[in-house]
Amino acid sequence: MDVLTTVTIIFLLYSLYLLYKSYKLKCSTNCYLVDYVCFKPSPDRQITTRKCGEIIERNKKLGLAEYKFLLKVIVNSGIGERTYGPRNIIEGREESPTLDDAIEEMDEFLNVCIHDLFVKTKISPRDVDVLVVNISTFCPFPSLASRIVHRYNMRDDVKTYNLSSMGCSATLVAIDVVKNIFKSGKKSIAVVITSESISPNWYSGNDKSMMLGNCLFRCGGSAMLLTNDPAMQAQAKMRLKCLVRTHIGANDDAFNSAVQKEDDRGRVGVHLSKDLPKAAMRAFTENLKRLLPKILPYREIALIAFHIVKQKLVQPDAKLNKVVAQINFKSGVDHFCLHTGGTAVIDAVRRALRLSEYDVEPARMTLHRWGNTSASSIWYVLGYMEAKKRLKKKDRVLMISFGSGFKCNSCLWEVSRDLGDGDVWEDCIKEYPPKTLVNPYLDKYGWVHEETEETFNREERTEAFKNSPW
Amino acid sequence: MANEPLPPFSSSVRLKYVKLGYQYLVNHILTFILIPIIVGISIELARVGPDEILSLVRFLNDLDLIYVMSTLFLVIIVGTVYFMSRPRPVYLVDYACFRPKPNFRVPFSTFLEHARLVPQFDERTVRFQVKILERSGLGEETCLPPANHYIPPTCSMAAARAEAELVIFSAIDELLNKTGMRPKNIDILIVNCSLFSPTPSLSAMIVNKYKLRSNILSFNLSGMGCSAGLISIDLARDLLQAHGNSNALVVSTEIITPNYYLGKERAMLLPNCLFRMGAAAVLLSNCRRERSRAKYRLTHVVRTHKGADDAAYRCVFQEQDSEGITGINLSKDLMAIAGDALKSNITTMGPLVLPASEQLLFLFSLIARKVFKAKWKPYIPDFRLAFEHFCIHAGGRAVIDELQKNLQLSDQHVEASRMALHRFGNTSSSSLWYELNYIESKGRMKKGDRVWMIGFGSGFKCNSAVWKCLKTIKTPVDGPWSTSIHRYPVDIPAVVKVL
Repeated sequence: MDVLTTVTIIFLLYSLYLLYKSYKLKCSTNCYLVDYVCFKPSPDRQITTRKCGEIIERNKKLGLAEYKFLLKVIVNSGIGERTYGPRNIIEGREESPTLDDAIEEMDEFLNVCIHDLFVKTKISPRDVDVLVVNISTFCPFPSLASRIVHRYNMRDDVKTYNLSSMGCSATLVAIDVVKNIFKSGKKSIAVVITSESISPNWYSGNDKSMMLGNCLFRCGGSAMLLTNDPAMQAQAKMRLKCLVRTHIGANDDAFNSAVQKEDDRGRVGVHLSKDLPKAAMRAFTENLKRLLPKILPYREIALIAFHIVKQKLVQPDAKLNKVVAQINFKSGVDHFCLHTGGTAVIDAVRRALRLSEYDVEPARMTLHRWGNTSASSIWYVLGYMEAKKRLKKKDRVLMISFGSGFKCNSCLWEVSRDLGDGDVWEDCIKEYPPKTLVNPYLDKYGWVHEETEETFNREERTEAFKNSPW
Repeated sequence: MANEPLPPFSSSVRLKYVKLGYQYLVNHILTFILIPIIVGISIELARVGPDEILSLVRFLNDLDLIYVMSTLFLVIIVGTVYFMSRPRPVYLVDYACFRPKPNFRVPFSTFLEHARLVPQFDERTVRFQVKILERSGLGEETCLPPANHYIPPTCSMAAARAEAELVIFSAIDELLNKTGMRPKNIDILIVNCSLFSPTPSLSAMIVNKYKLRSNILSFNLSGMGCSAGLISIDLARDLLQAHGNSNALVVSTEIITPNYYLGKERAMLLPNCLFRMGAAAVLLSNCRRERSRAKYRLTHVVRTHKGADDAAYRCVFQEQDSEGITGINLSKDLMAIAGDALKSNITTMGPLVLPASEQLLFLFSLIARKVFKAKWKPYIPDFRLAFEHFCIHAGGRAVIDELQKNLQLSDQHVEASRMALHRFGNTSSSSLWYELNYIESKGRMKKGDRVWMIGFGSGFKCNSAVWKCLKTIKTPVDGPWSTSIHRYPVDIPAVVKVL
């Protein structure tokens, strides 16, 4: 009997221990955002609209039509006067970028931003277990992930991943990698670095579909620190609730909507086709179909289901537009971080989700202050909301981003505590929102429309432009 | 490749890597403690005799049903929880390598002729490249992509995309045919290609060609060097732990077209001589039903990154030479750094794979040296007891030679690496799969065999993976070696005279 009791007791204790271990493992599968830091380049890298005009002027291959087109794009872009560009373009060397230019651009970001992140979070680089870097259009060898390991002297069992060419939605792909690694339950600290490289990607030709990139992209980047350690929950800013990725590359039009290729003269640029907005909308719709059941409250889902069933019974063949029009997206989300791809993108998403100006204000202001910084833009938008003290405990933040391929990725965060850290917006948040977002040069560039090919004398105009009071 | 030999492994063993490996073991310490308790109880029972045991059984019959039922219930719950929280097994269902057609061949004579006709190369540069080729261990059947057959090579983006489509699609087509896997059933896609990353990515290109699902988890890794294949396997493993009943397609390749170096810097000319066209597509799965037809099971992946060290970080470096031409600079310290990285990697790998006898011997030797300060030479465990087959990245002849010497491997152990280098050249991250296919084609892969794959990469990284074979692979094997396996192994002379 003694033996039996002993065996039973040992067995019971061991089973309880196993159950406890499994429970602990389950608790360590959450993904917490401890902190993030956005990059603010030095003031000598600021580009005004006038400077943009000068830079475009330097391209002697442009004719009047292209020049008009580009100026129109710039003044209508919603981009303000304080965005940042890479040094080689500002200094006039955009047509012959060297490898060193690109590396220097990245170094300025990596040396400052990641250092600030470690200081803010009080984590040592030696504690980092996972490092995911996504910088889409620049891929040196060894990778930028290795560059960071070297620069910050990280451990040799650090898991590095260097994602590349995944477009403007790549930051959420990086978060996806981290989320999946965290699911194993082992307590880890992950650092995600997101940026874009502008220097080596200047398009020096005159194909209109490839010139948009030159006008809209600006320098920026962000570094995030994530963990699944429940002990750091108090320090964390947000917790990841769900992440949905959609890839409609199977559709040829969507796949070819943003393609890097050579133009007919052999110059490399990213061709943006006219199907891009349509592809974006399709990807967005696909994404919403999978996202909404995860983020909307049960009451709302039941209501939508009820409406769908009602419509199917009454008009089986009719489209579901009316039902879609009745969905209240704001019942499940308090704040919207939209990728600042351009005013068109922001307006399109605003219409689709029926948001107010207040909801899209962070995205518009980010576009104005920082331009389209590609994948890192959603972190600047988040920074704006935090600086404006909009983020309170238990608020839900939805991040939506689009990328070439064509991808639409979204994720929902839950805010863990009231946030108010201004970060890069600290010095200018009081000026936002400004009275008007209209470009000050809108009417100044009106003269372009009066010119014709014969009367357009560029040298004369350049002189006049330089001597003008603005 | 550099001439300095690898430092012998016996010169030092870093304690921290040993600790890392032992940590994995210690996690299961409670399970180990249970074993002596069970042994104790069994001895007690045996001592007590059969009559007592019978009386025990009768006692059990008298117990309340509720007691028995609740115990059974508890057993079932704990059993289920335990099995559910174990890591999911990762099976390699099958893999396929790109089979280059003979018209892409670059025999030594073609290489020499083309190098002479390229206007950017002077005679000295040509002679240097040919000298490297003579001593490289490459054969006459290695292949370069179509763009490199032009004089001078046409390194446009369109040509690079064409090469990518050629190698990747043919490898994936072959894999899908072999496994009968429908593209719609692929849940995870990971592509690694170091030196070419267009927009949209190569992974998007694959999604487009095979019409993969819109909720696919796709990842495109770039710039991670020749060890990126094992990094992709590691990522696939992590993803398969997080998602049950999933299939992952891993594609490893290196696109040669945009990376031909047309300058005069010697250290940067080496890649021209060594890198060749290749690709591999691997299907991994954690579905139980794939167990019956899977070839291998992934048991361990160990990654080591030496980037914190300056020399290691700079040893394989892309930069622009004095004329502004971009190329990859290979430093003279490559061998020493590779050796150091490998040493760290195998010290962590050791406790995971070595048999108990070797581990105990190693532990005693370590304790004696560190605690008792005995002047013994460190005991280097015999890895041949842990693995039957070795796939060492065919980076170059010198690397394979030195590794063979240091790990005390026989010629047969490194034969797969040498022959893959001879037949296909350095195909970067996909070379490990060509080597594995060699071993299978030779009929040497039996059920239960363990394979150790070691890859080196820029950064400097050393990654290794251990696979266990689940079924004996019967010859003939349909793969890249089908047309040439009967001619191998060949004796590769130290120098093949061309000039």
